[in-house]
Amino acid sequence: MATRPTTPASPKNAKIKSPSPGCPVFGCEHVQILLCQSQEVMNSSIAHYKMILRGIFDTTPILSQTSTNQEGRPVTSLTSNYLCLQCPVTLSEEDRLKHGTEKLHRFYVDSRTGALYCQICDDLVWDPTLEELRVRKIGTGTFSTNRKRKHDELFAESSKEDPRIISANTTVASCRASGLRGIYNAGATCYQNVVLQSFLHNPLLRNFYLSDGHQSSECSISHCLSCAMDDMFQDFYALESTNGYTAANILSGFWISEKKAFENLVTTKEQDAHEFFQFLAEELHERNGDGKRPQSGSEHTCNCIIHQTFYGKMQTTTTCQNCHNSTHAVQSFLDLSLGVDTLAQRRAKKTGQKLPALTLGDCLDEEYVKSDKCEYRCHKCASIQQARRHTSIKRLPNVLSIQLKRFEFKQGKHDRAASKIDNPVSFPLQLNMLPYTNRARNRDSRENLELERSCTYDLLSVVVHVGEIETGHYVSYCRVGDQWFKFNDHKVELARVSDVLGAQAYLLFYIIRSLA
Amino acid sequence: MNSATGRAGIIRARDDAGSMDKLAHSVLDDVLFNIVSDLLMKTHREEKTARATTAAIRVEKLASDASESSTPDSGPDVRIETDAAIYEDGKVLLKGNPLKTTTDILCPRCHLPRLLYPTDGKGARKPDPTIVYCKKHPFIEKPGCDIYGQSWVGPGPGRGKKKKDMDKKDGTDGTPEQRPPNVLSFPSATCSKCKRCILVTRLNNHMGSCIGNSGRNASRAAAQRINGGGSQNEPTPPPSQKATPTPTSRAQSPRKRDASDDDDDSETSHKKKKLKSSQTKKVILKTKPPLKKDKIKSSSLSQEQKADYDVPSPKVLNKIKSKAESPVKKLKVTKPTIASPMSKNGRDIDGESESSGTLSSPPASRH
Repeated sequence: MATRPTTPASPKNAKIKSPSPGCPVFGCEHVQILLCQSQEVMNSSIAHYKMILRGIFDTTPILSQTSTNQEGRPVTSLTSNYLCLQCPVTLSEEDRLKHGTEKLHRFYVDSRTGALYCQICDDLVWDPTLEELRVRKIGTGTFSTNRKRKHDELFAESSKEDPRIISANTTVASCRASGLRGIYNAGATCYQNVVLQSFLHNPLLRNFYLSDGHQSSECSISHCLSCAMDDMFQDFYALESTNGYTAANILSGFWISEKKAFENLVTTKEQDAHEFFQFLAEELHERNGDGKRPQSGSEHTCNCIIHQTFYGKMQTTTTCQNCHNSTHAVQSFLDLSLGVDTLAQRRAKKTGQKLPALTLGDCLDEEYVKSDKCEYRCHKCASIQQARRHTSIKRLPNVLSIQLKRFEFKQGKHDRAASKIDNPVSFPLQLNMLPYTNRARNRDSRENLELERSCTYDLLSVVVHVGEIETGHYVSYCRVGDQWFKFNDHKVELARVSDVLGAQAYLLFYIIRSLA
Repeated sequence: MNSATGRAGIIRARDDAGSMDKLAHSVLDDVLFNIVSDLLMKTHREEKTARATTAAIRVEKLASDASESSTPDSGPDVRIETDAAIYEDGKVLLKGNPLKTTTDILCPRCHLPRLLYPTDGKGARKPDPTIVYCKKHPFIEKPGCDIYGQSWVGPGPGRGKKKKDMDKKDGTDGTPEQRPPNVLSFPSATCSKCKRCILVTRLNNHMGSCIGNSGRNASRAAAQRINGGGSQNEPTPPPSQKATPTPTSRAQSPRKRDASDDDDDSETSHKKKKLKSSQTKKVILKTKPPLKKDKIKSSSLSQEQKADYDVPSPKVLNKIKSKAESPVKKLKVTKPTIASPMSKNGRDIDGESESSGTLSSPPASRH
């Protein structure tokens, strides 16, 4: 494939994927015959396949979904059509065989997925070369290898690197070591366990620690939490043990830590998982990053793994209603905290339901689409003015963490007491964050598709709080590949997507689909 | 536009339905068809790719067996043909459809056959005892068990009393009939400060009183030790610590944990602890300092180690050792069944003490 994406029209010869052990070179004998005929046939076949894929994934689906029937009339179908790989024609499934017999064209591309169908095999064929193009197109929107890394690769079980270098320098974990283990509850520590599980199944953090990002053998800091994390990742992904894990080092690092901001956390009482998440992120940032404490409200940038993974930036624009002068303030964020309470109350009044259901989109709209009024001191007018304030996301993080503010202090009759908001908030498996960024305003439909793709997130893990505020319990769901698992302290169970989506989420972790 | 249904033919309008009605039905039916075909395609892709890989691994194995001169660096210079694939010039070419020619799946990493059905629970089948399978098993879906088919000794109401837990187990646990071979008990862990061995479920509480040196908790913990610790000769926190029921504001006292227990999971229930917490002697299994500990890893949990891990692991494979110390650590980590004398400046505490819990219960359903 072309190594230089900037010159797509380069006359470079197409190449098949170089053979690797344990992988056949072609998807089937017939693809082999097609691609081995001559360099020209191979070039044109691959170029045509790329063109078809562009047509499917970059333009409106109506084109590939429309075929011409026997009478020459266009027919649009909801189900798959087949695009001939050898000539520019779109066929319905019924006409496919006829075309093949007439023209001796044997390869067709499924119009909804881009998958290759071989008529002689009468089966879908997963050819390594063509399949790589398809997966990359779906993942990143581009065929080039060096610009973006495919999201799938993080989960995939294969490697591009030279196997000899790898086998000489690494030790291989058992096939049993899957990273799926529970963590024992050390006495009201389930709020830690859920956050640790979501870190353990975060591909970015996993890759960082498993590639010796922070080696506990080289670190001299006593009771370093990052070392404890390193050890934990080792134990999860390299040991065969299926028993629960005892996070003793995390726990002692946590007790010994001197973070004053999280003093509250260090008790033997059940605590807030979100606070622990913040604590852990800050602690790991300090151990791996520039050592500076992130100032809340400032635009703090750092190259540490925590910043690379979780931190984004948001921009608040304040526009004076008098002179229409606007000021921008940018600050970094570790997570988005979304209010549920006011929205739920408003919805309850409107619909009369006791616990009206909300969506994640509702909550995001409230914070990052709508603007609110405030008073501020305008420099231009040199006086206090009414102003409109709008917050949007300036830079999206690789892993977007969202907190649904289910725990609120409410002014009761006698005192302020924490209460839990039990409204169901539905959340999607796939989240498009484009409407909440500051680029959402200037829309250009052509650019939009690309932009939207770069703002697409997939759900990675969900932290759920069950029960009452004081007596509740935390469980979490994490996705490994396409399979969801439920982590309830030391117990790990299979989970269905419906279990995950039906859960009362407290923290949500979304991972970006294509890494820039 | 006049048919009453779409491609799947499942969602069907009545014959006398209006054309809008028919359209709606056929659209819905088409969408259903697409959902099913997407699922099918995903499974087809996984399965066919795995079978093609299996065919390739087999023919490569035959090829490397056939030529002695082969080094790992260069492919053997032979031509081998099986029913499913041809090996030629270091390349593997498929013959026919791997879904037809190949019936089983070999693990691309260890080259052992994959177990295709879970050994227990939903969809379980008895594995062939004569075959050594890849250790990656299908996950088990069975009520009361985790994905590995394990369950845990129900702690019963008196968590501090292990003996009582054992007695009560049959009545309270989700698996009451008999104790299956892979029921695990809770392990102990070593406190990093006092080096005593504490049952994991009490670890947080212990650390609260042993380490609890941050801010106000320090004085509080100290005070507790002075007040309540005199009568106790155990490292566990005195019962007075847990007896104060002040559930008003958070984080003001480390004593209120009782209120926050979960109800779902009886193992983590601490509610009754205040009643019996003085009885903790049996949790102290070892008092050795953790520095010089051999790894008696969970060998009982796993079957015989298979040696041919020649395919790089994706998970750990990024572990390129850049430093001399690195392989030591990784060695320890990948060969868990060998009792290695490696000690890693006291950080092995976790793994070490976890194994103490698993040793007692060898899982028989693994083979």
